[in-house]
Amino acid sequence: MAALDLNTVRSTIEGRLQTELDDAPVIPVIFHNMPYTPTPGTSWCQCSISFSASDYLTMGDDSSSSNNVTGLLSIDIYSAKGVGPGDNLTIGKRVRDLYNRVTVSGVHFDSPTGPEVMASPQPEGYFLTQVRCTFEVFEDL
Amino acid sequence: MAFYRGQQGSVKFDDAGSSAAAIASTRSWSMNVSKATLESTTLGDTYAGNVGGIISGSGSVELMYTASSSDETNVFIEAANTASDAGGALFELYLDTTGTKKISFDGLITSADYSATVGELEVVTCNFVTNGAITLDI
Repeated sequence: MAALDLNTVRSTIEGRLQTELDDAPVIPVIFHNMPYTPTPGTSWCQCSISFSASDYLTMGDDSSSSNNVTGLLSIDIYSAKGVGPGDNLTIGKRVRDLYNRVTVSGVHFDSPTGPEVMASPQPEGYFLTQVRCTFEVFEDL
Repeated sequence: MAFYRGQQGSVKFDDAGSSAAAIASTRSWSMNVSKATLESTTLGDTYAGNVGGIISGSGSVELMYTASSSDETNVFIEAANTASDAGGALFELYLDTTGTKKISFDGLITSADYSATVGELEVVTCNFVTNGAITLDI
């Protein structure tokens, strides 16, 4: 029993996405707080993980007790502009299927939202959608 | 002044009535101790009179389902479905983590509610009544 290792959770989530997008057709993926210069006209993804609320699950102080920790996974999918949404949604399905109600290494994913079309992508010159998925982890102290 | 928070509580149980073990993943417990009243008003009294009668207790324990087996937690959530219950199970309901503030008694589980709801954790609620003396070390 130990406090939750946030980097283990992050690694679980990111590793699943990296493994999928390393398969053909390969899609570059970058993660939070990493530099990246995209090639114009190509597709790529950006993955962001944010931990949010934590609540009591069971009785007990700092031992023999459990908390739940929730978070939000956001994946921005960039694809070429002016050629329709098809390529983008193909990537979106790969991403969505990865997390849709699955449990991986103790991380429970809910039903995802999206791919939702986003206005004003940054950087400009891309068609941007976003897949969001809340997740929950149980912490045993 | 000392105050206590709910997470400092806990529950122990032993169906054999001897050495209570912790019930895992307890989320809450509650207990009501009540005393029957016997009216002692007599003719000519202006005000009603009452004296104390039989004391009894009942309550519930709510816990998260964890698929535990071969332990008191498993026995606890299945106890409502056992036949010929003599009411000799030992209950200890704790108010603090030091293990000194507790309510203890013999009793039996009278009902259990099992539930599973999409998007929520699975919870089991066990209801109990006391059998015999209730000891308040609070």
